Order: sequence, then structure tokens, then C-alpha cells
Amino acid sequence: MKGFGDYLRKVREQRRAEDATFSVRQLAARVGVEPSYLSKVERGQQPPPSEKTIAALARELDLDPDVLLAMAGKVSGDLQAIIRNRPKLFADLIRQLKDMPDHAVLRLVREVRDGEW
Amino acid sequence: MIELASDVLNFTFPDVHPEAELQINFQRTLRIPDDANDYPLPPGLGTFPIQHIDDHAANVPSSWLQHGGVMLPMFQSEAMWLDFDSSWIEQNDVAYPFAIKVAAGKQCAISGEPWNEGVTGKPQNYMVAPEQPWLDGFVVEKGCIRQFVAMPLGSGYSAEEQITGEAQHGGLQLAVYPMKRDVFERRFPKVRRMKHIQSQDVCYSMPECCSAPDMGLAPGGRMKQEIYNDPYDVDDWDIDAGGRCFVHLCNSMTWQSLTGEVPPHPAPTAKVYNSSGLPWFDYYDDAMTAVGGSPSLAKLKSVTQLSAEKRDAALPENESVTPGNLVLCRKGLKQGQVREGFI
Repeated sequence: MKGFGDYLRKVREQRRAEDATFSVRQLAARVGVEPSYLSKVERGQQPPPSEKTIAALARELDLDPDVLLAMAGKVSGDLQAIIRNRPKLFADLIRQLKDMPDHAVLRLVREVRDGEW
Repeated sequence: MIELASDVLNFTFPDVHPEAELQINFQRTLRIPDDANDYPLPPGLGTFPIQHIDDHAANVPSSWLQHGGVMLPMFQSEAMWLDFDSSWIEQNDVAYPFAIKVAAGKQCAISGEPWNEGVTGKPQNYMVAPEQPWLDGFVVEKGCIRQFVAMPLGSGYSAEEQITGEAQHGGLQLAVYPMKRDVFERRFPKVRRMKHIQSQDVCYSMPECCSAPDMGLAPGGRMKQEIYNDPYDVDDWDIDAGGRCFVHLCNSMTWQSLTGEVPPHPAPTAKVYNSSGLPWFDYYDDAMTAVGGSPSLAKLKSVTQLSAEKRDAALPENESVTPGNLVLCRKGLKQGQVREGFI
């Protein structure tokens, strides 16, 4: 999963150019992992960390947690629960939407239903 | 089209104007004392959580399913206010105008008349956004409202029960009508320059009704708030394009059993809030005139008045306060300007 590590390092270095607290050591301390571990993740020598740590990294680096999780080959636990709850419905839905352009997907909004008063 | 996103109702009207959007959220607030005094506006303490009725179809009363809409949790004697935010249309350099109707138990909170579709000018039964940023209660006199306070439907306190004698509907009913597109373009022609600024714990139970899932809004303490006359014409509103939403007020205990989520903690008392030096608010617009009070709403008895007649103790912790920290808000709220307490 070198792509994840490369991306993480690139973003962290960008932040560090403006803010010294984005060193490997200080960022690792803030997300609760060892600096050597974070360094190995960035170099692709360790697989991506847990969902919890990825979410913490996303928060610190101001990234979208779902995008960062996807780069790590993961899907967030809450989305997994939604699909597991109604697997056929959501599997069908996602497959049908997979080639739809973004603007069309964005039009699929849920309206508040009005009834008889 | 009405969507629910992050506990905010978004009314959009793509057939009228692609950028016409009105957001309505329901603010938790402290209950002002229900006494003889007129109080300034209390703070917003965050939004009530809102969920689709259809997400709990198996467990909600059948009448709720029939009404459709959404639900939010309220503790008995908890207060709320409504916050209106209309979208800024950059090309015309103005916020899109909307007519907004609000009813409690299908009794109009502005005119006191029974719910009907559309808008009427005499008496005016709607408000106009962005001129009207907030609504805190029933309009009982010119420049004075009685705060929206939740009481169990069936206990006799709600405005609906006092006016109709029946506890039939409960909840809040909203309808929003955008200004007609051609009227909007005529009144607010496109401007060439592009500006980038914007205008701006305790559940007090009542033995006889604590099992009722429905809450109704009853008139609480008096508050200084002007509801402005429509500065446009009653025919300027696009009635056919309007959207409406039934907001069920769900007893907080029922909410927890329906959704599995703990409702927000009740607001602090007015006394505790005020003694902490936290702000109260006053909003004024010299250029606007206020609607008169509704005769039927003026006759309403406040929760305290009614509970005295019933020899009941419906509103505990109702001590009078003298608001100390008053924040004045002029017409046209600045970007990011809020009406919030800091709890």
C-alpha cells in the first residue's frame, strides 16, 4: 500500500512547511502511535493503520476520512454496517450507480415526505 | 423540494430559481420566565436533532405516518425558536425572498387562524425572509410574542387546545413559498459588480399524560419580538411552487425509545443563564413595520396562568430575572453573526 504512504507523507510535508508541529514525531504523538511506526507506514514498509488511526490522521491533516480510508483499501465501519443491514438493496444500488456521473449521483437526494394533514 | 441535512430543513425550489434555498432549523433555548415581564430574546443553544418519520414507521403512531414529515424531541416545558436563513443570490446581490407560514397544532402562530393553504394579507398569516430572521412564539400583541413551550398534547395547555378545544394535531406545521421568479427579477435586477459579502435534566412529568408521545406548543412567557409586515405584495409569492412539512414534536422519552438516541440535555434555567452573565438579544429594523397581534392569540392563557387555574405546577423554576447582558442586533445580520449563548 505504498500509494497510501506516499500520499500521507506528501500531505504531512505540505502541512509541515507551514507548521512545524506536523513532524512525524509530533503528528504520531497526536494520533496515538509510535513515530517509527508512522514513518514505516509513510514509506510503505507497514500496511495502513487501523480505521481509528486513519480517522485521527484525517482529522489532523484536514482530509476527508472516507477518502483516506479508501486509499488504504478500507471502508468505514458505519458504511459497512449500513450495507450489512440491507445487503441486497445497497449492493444493487451501488452497482447501478457505479457508472453514473457525479452530478447525477448528487441529484439522488432524499426528500422529506409530505402526507395528509 | 425539502431535504433534511444535519438537523436542518432545506427548502429548495429548482423550478423557480436554481439557487433559491431557505434553511429552517429549530433552536434549543432556555425558557424565559412566564410572569408579567416582557423579556428580550434568549440565546440559541444548538439545534434539536431531527429524523424522518418514515425511518421509524414500525413504531410511531399511525397518524404520524399519515402526516409524513419529520420529528424532533422536546422535554415537557422545554422552549424552542425557529431560525430562517435564505440563500444569497450573487447575481442580484440579494437574499432570495420567501414567505414562511408557521402553525402549531394547525393554528397559525402569526394570525391565530386555522391552517389553510397559501397566504393571506389581511390578516397577514406569514413572515418574510430574510427580513424576519427568527420566530420565538405566538404573536399576541404588536411587538410581543409568547414563547413556544412544549406541553403534552391532551393536557389542555397547547394553543391548539385552548383555541379549538381539541387535542387533534399537535406538532408544528411549516409552509414556504418562494417569490415568483419574474417578480424577483423585476424587483431585484441583476447587478454587474459581483460582491462577495453576505447579509448577513429533568423531565417534569405530569401523571395524567406522561405516556402521550405527542407534544403541542403552548404559550409561555412574554418576549419582545416584532413580526414584520410583508414589504412586497401578497401576489408576489409563488403559491403553486410552495413546500410544506409537518414537524412532529416527540416526547423526549418516546424519542429515546424510538431512535435509541439520547435527546439533548435540557437548557439551563433563565436564572442560571442570566446569573452567568451570558447574552440576551434584541433585534430591530427601523425600516420595517410590525404586524398587529392576533385577537385569538391574545386571548390565550400562558402555561403559568392556566396551571394556576388547574392548581397544577406545570412550570417549575419560573423565577423572574433581570437580563443583564443585552446584545443589540441591527437589521441585516453580518456574515457569521449568530444568536448563541455559550454553554
